[in-house]
Amino acid sequence: MSVTEADPVAAAAPTRPAVLRVLSAVWRSYAFRRILKAVLTVYLVATFTFFLVRLLPGNPVEVYINTLMQQNGMSYDQAANMAKALYSFDPGKPLVVQYLDYLNGLLHGDLGNSIGSPGTTVGSILVAYLPWTLFSVGIALIISFCLGILLGMAMAYRRNGVIDHVLSVIGSLLHSIPNYLLAIMIVVFLGIQLNLFDVSQMRGAYSPGVTPEFSADFFSDVMYHAGLPITTYVLTTIGSWMLVMKSSTVETLGEDYVTVAKARGLRDRRIATAYVGRNAVLPLFSQLAIAAGFVVGGSILIEQVFQYQGIGYLLFRAVNDRDYPLMQGIFLVITIAVVLANLVADLLYGRLDPRIRIGGGER
Amino acid sequence: MTDEPVLAVRDLVVEYRTPAGPVRAVRGASFDLYEGESLALVGESGCGKTTLGLALLRLLPRLGSTPHGEVRYRRADGSTVDLLTMRKEQLRRFRWHEAAMVFQGAMNALNPVLRVQDQMYDTIRAHRSMSASAARKRCHEVLDMVRLEPRRVMPSYPHELSGGMRQRVLIAMALLLSPRVLVLDEPTTALDILTQRSIVDVLQELRRELGFAMVFVTHDLALAAELADRVATMYAGRIVELGDSRDVFAAPRHPYTAGLIRAVPPAVGEATEISSIPGGPPSLAALPPGCPFSVRCGLSAEVGDGDGPAGVCVQADPELTRTGERHEVACHYSDRVEFTREVVVDGV
Ligand SMILES: Nc1ncnc2c1ncn2[C@@H]1O[C@H](COP(=O)(O)OP(=O)(O)OP(=O)(O)O)[C@@H](O)[C@H]1O
Ligand code: SF4
Ligand SMILES: [Mg+2]
Repeated sequence: MSVTEADPVAAAAPTRPAVLRVLSAVWRSYAFRRILKAVLTVYLVATFTFFLVRLLPGNPVEVYINTLMQQNGMSYDQAANMAKALYSFDPGKPLVVQYLDYLNGLLHGDLGNSIGSPGTTVGSILVAYLPWTLFSVGIALIISFCLGILLGMAMAYRRNGVIDHVLSVIGSLLHSIPNYLLAIMIVVFLGIQLNLFDVSQMRGAYSPGVTPEFSADFFSDVMYHAGLPITTYVLTTIGSWMLVMKSSTVETLGEDYVTVAKARGLRDRRIATAYVGRNAVLPLFSQLAIAAGFVVGGSILIEQVFQYQGIGYLLFRAVNDRDYPLMQGIFLVITIAVVLANLVADLLYGRLDPRIRIGGGER
Repeated sequence: MTDEPVLAVRDLVVEYRTPAGPVRAVRGASFDLYEGESLALVGESGCGKTTLGLALLRLLPRLGSTPHGEVRYRRADGSTVDLLTMRKEQLRRFRWHEAAMVFQGAMNALNPVLRVQDQMYDTIRAHRSMSASAARKRCHEVLDMVRLEPRRVMPSYPHELSGGMRQRVLIAMALLLSPRVLVLDEPTTALDILTQRSIVDVLQELRRELGFAMVFVTHDLALAAELADRVATMYAGRIVELGDSRDVFAAPRHPYTAGLIRAVPPAVGEATEISSIPGGPPSLAALPPGCPFSVRCGLSAEVGDGDGPAGVCVQADPELTRTGERHEVACHYSDRVEFTREVVVDGV
């Protein structure tokens, strides 16, 4: 503080430094700065997509107006008014005003109206599709991460043994297959040629005619439909978790504190969990964050192949329909997913690694 | 004190597997450690001190093995076991409870994600069933012993402690279960001189009070002279001289030990006598024939009349043989070793 000792204001208002101190403590808090950064990122990406979408050729509203004019013989003004009403989107407004409207809408959770299905809001479409993606990819991520870590540790503990060699080969093989290719292979070989299951029946997020509710029947139906996407995600991601965890564990096993723990006569199980596992898994959390962020983005091709009605499937549709507001909404959701996942992982990492927890507050 | 040693090491060989084939880092070490005694292990870097210390608790890394030898431990009740043939669970119980170790370069010896107290509790719980409050009390006791403030240290994470504090925590940890043998691998290296001093004082005091036997590895001959009852000099994986520290420091019988002592600047007096040993230690993978010290040995060159080392020195590796009542040396010409300097440091 630049207040001198003789400053009468400082002497008269002893509470001010306290307030400032609290504020500066908040400012210096790791979590606060992280959250601020996340919000800023979302804002920047939202702005960027806004202008990007405006720059894309073939403005859909103009296209629609032209169609109306040609087909129904309306005047431009008439057609434009009609389009405006439908889309709540006025291409005639100055860009700055559009941008401010857009931001204002965002603040109120309003993402505009869809062009592909006139009259519906982008928000309501997202709400209908997003949960399925979060559900299927989320479950797959958890399964893949946990299983990968266990297998990776097993490989590290028995390195150069049979398990290690076999899993290494399988792991790098799976790691190198693109997920959509595996999805297509599953459909073609297992579904069509071997006829192990009926791919067409497994389409969608749940069977037609089944009503969403909290019941065992509905849940098993959901799992039936999500089964193939989940299997694909797990198979294509588990390899890298395994290999990364293995190398991290091997490194940790060479640390002094593991030898010391052995010297202290701790039981193997305790050493494996609290000394080896916990330290080995730490560096994987930043990767988990990235993976979790791509939950939404990574689903695009898979959902298309399996016709699973999640956000990836929706994006395909939006692109086909040149439904810009919807695309904009989806990109925003994808961004938010990435940013949020990174934020959560960062904060979590801080909780898990005491060295970072301290590092935030002081220098 | 009894006549039987707590730890009897016989002809211990330690091998590391390397890409170029097995390397013997310890080549047949034998010594006894008596109850309450303190044995210093000195020698140049790479001569196998740490390896020997680790082998005593069977803590060698994956690539290390003990193809030969015996480490016999005598329990308080008089029964003996060979550590090298011990079963896994038996070994686990033995470690820390009977023999504990303070590791070299202990900066990384504590788990960074667990609080000090949890690591101490882990240690207790692995060996005893003790109530939480009793465990806590015990931790306070040992931390007090090493002059740390339990309330401050226990809830801390390792990175919140200074190097000296961590070293003390490790010593405290080693004392938790009152072991009968303590192996300390360079417990004061990498610490500043004042911290070193206070840790040495703590060790002296603890040994007097608790009476454990101690093997400690050091580069610091002054420290060895101060802390040790006996000294073992290692060279290229072998113990080349072993004796009471007074005898060894006053009248070393091995040219290598004599060279080491001469290389230490005297605490008082002129520094003219300091001289280092020429050359460096031989590679363990390619030892010279005969005595491994022969290439650097001034005495041997003298005996050999300036014509390289004396014949017998390159023909046969000398065995550790008794030269005094409690003094053993591995040198063909041990009776011709001359050493005139005063004792470097006489038990400050
Ligand atoms: N894991 C290992 N694999 C292969 N060789 C090793 C391994 N550890 C140690 N060695 C070799 O064994 C020899 C003895 O090493 P050790 O660490 O016991 O020496 P030291 O006397 O403790 O040295 P310092 O004083 O530097 O601590 C060295 O030549 C070293 O190269
Ligand atoms: S045996 Fe020979 S070479 Fe070895 S230390 Fe003695 S005199 Fe020197
Ligand atoms: Mg060492």
